[in-house]
Amino acid sequence: MASYANENVLVSTEWVANVAANPEAHPNVRIVESDEDRALYTQGHVPGAVEIDWQVDLQDATWRDYIDRAAFEDLCRRKGISNDTTVVFYGDKSNWWACYAFWTFKLYGHADCRIMDGGRKKWALEGRPWSTDRVDPAPGTYTATEQDMSIRALRDEVLKHQKAGKPLIDVRSPEEYSGARLHMPDYPNEGSLRGGHIPGAISIPWPLSVNEDGSFKSAKELEKLYLKEGKLRRRAATVAYCRIGERSSLTWFVLKYLLGFTNVKNYDGSWLEWGNAVRMPIVKGTTPHGSPAE
Amino acid sequence: MSTVAQRLDDVVDEFVDLDGREKLEMLLEYAATLPPLPAGCAGLDENRVHECQSPVFIQVELRPTDAGQPGVFLLAEVAEEAPTVKGFVAMLAQAFAGRPTDEVLAVDDTLLDRLGLADVLGMLRTRGLRAIIEYVKRGVVRQLTASRG
Repeated sequence: MASYANENVLVSTEWVANVAANPEAHPNVRIVESDEDRALYTQGHVPGAVEIDWQVDLQDATWRDYIDRAAFEDLCRRKGISNDTTVVFYGDKSNWWACYAFWTFKLYGHADCRIMDGGRKKWALEGRPWSTDRVDPAPGTYTATEQDMSIRALRDEVLKHQKAGKPLIDVRSPEEYSGARLHMPDYPNEGSLRGGHIPGAISIPWPLSVNEDGSFKSAKELEKLYLKEGKLRRRAATVAYCRIGERSSLTWFVLKYLLGFTNVKNYDGSWLEWGNAVRMPIVKGTTPHGSPAE
Repeated sequence: MSTVAQRLDDVVDEFVDLDGREKLEMLLEYAATLPPLPAGCAGLDENRVHECQSPVFIQVELRPTDAGQPGVFLLAEVAEEAPTVKGFVAMLAQAFAGRPTDEVLAVDDTLLDRLGLADVLGMLRTRGLRAIIEYVKRGVVRQLTASRG
């Protein structure tokens, strides 16, 4: 296979630039920026793009969970998104948060989601225009579905998956995988009490999926990485995780949409849950089942 | 010369009536004021923190001041991709500049609540900024310990 499993799910910066330049010709397209650092959108965004923030907009402030269905519907209405809108996500960090927002939209059943390949970085490298205008779209009309749990893995399910020896991918850095470090000493971090990885999980760090300009690697390169070297199978139930579920939503996107995996889930609780919960199996070291010599 | 507490009160006054977007714009204005590191200071190149956390380098220095006691100065570098953190660090650097260590150590973590940033940034990012205050305070304590040798 020389091309992505889903060709339409990625749009180019050129395509987005055309939409941004002629918004009235594309009334059914909404461009959405999602960033690690919200001030980046304030500093300058793709003209006409609205912002959806993973913490403030997508996560519930009381429960540790995503916003509920009613809140998601309200969010879409406010952002000018209707059920039939083509929503194009982009952002910083090679589209981590864009993929996270994409995943959340899929969780509530949004039909037409895309990713702008390369995100903010590629847009900037190509010298395309930034806007600081406040964007206030006409409200959309929205009815969401219940959460689609076929793309979301919760802790107990991951534990069963692990015990059954099914494929797990840890997409964090090699140092986080081995347990060599939780974080840099004294620096702000989300905090986990234990380091290491879920027994049996293979390590395929997320950056291996993207190019220097933030765009995704070719279908051929991704097949080599995940199928040939990682020995993953398209039809096998597969779970990806990282520290807080954002880097693994990028890998989830790659597996499901670019490589055509039929049953892949994101474990959004990820290491922040696993490494803090009581009695979860953990191994240290550089191999899936842990290495005796540390 | 105003104290750290007075300077931070002024900052809070600046922020208090702003909407979320304006608060981020204010942080961007602060970010633009952060001076580059002096030559010879390795900064982020050698101290880049791990992925998934804010790319920030902060060094606390105590320098003699006219007041006779050492004053706190922050040397800092924050990656362009983290303008919120850069703005916050720049704001702290201005508020602390040249002031005695006890004033800096007295800053408590209600500052984030008073600035009203939690609603704009969410809980995790706010924790990150709170951790920066703690990081600076630990740096001050380390410098004090070192200078008493």
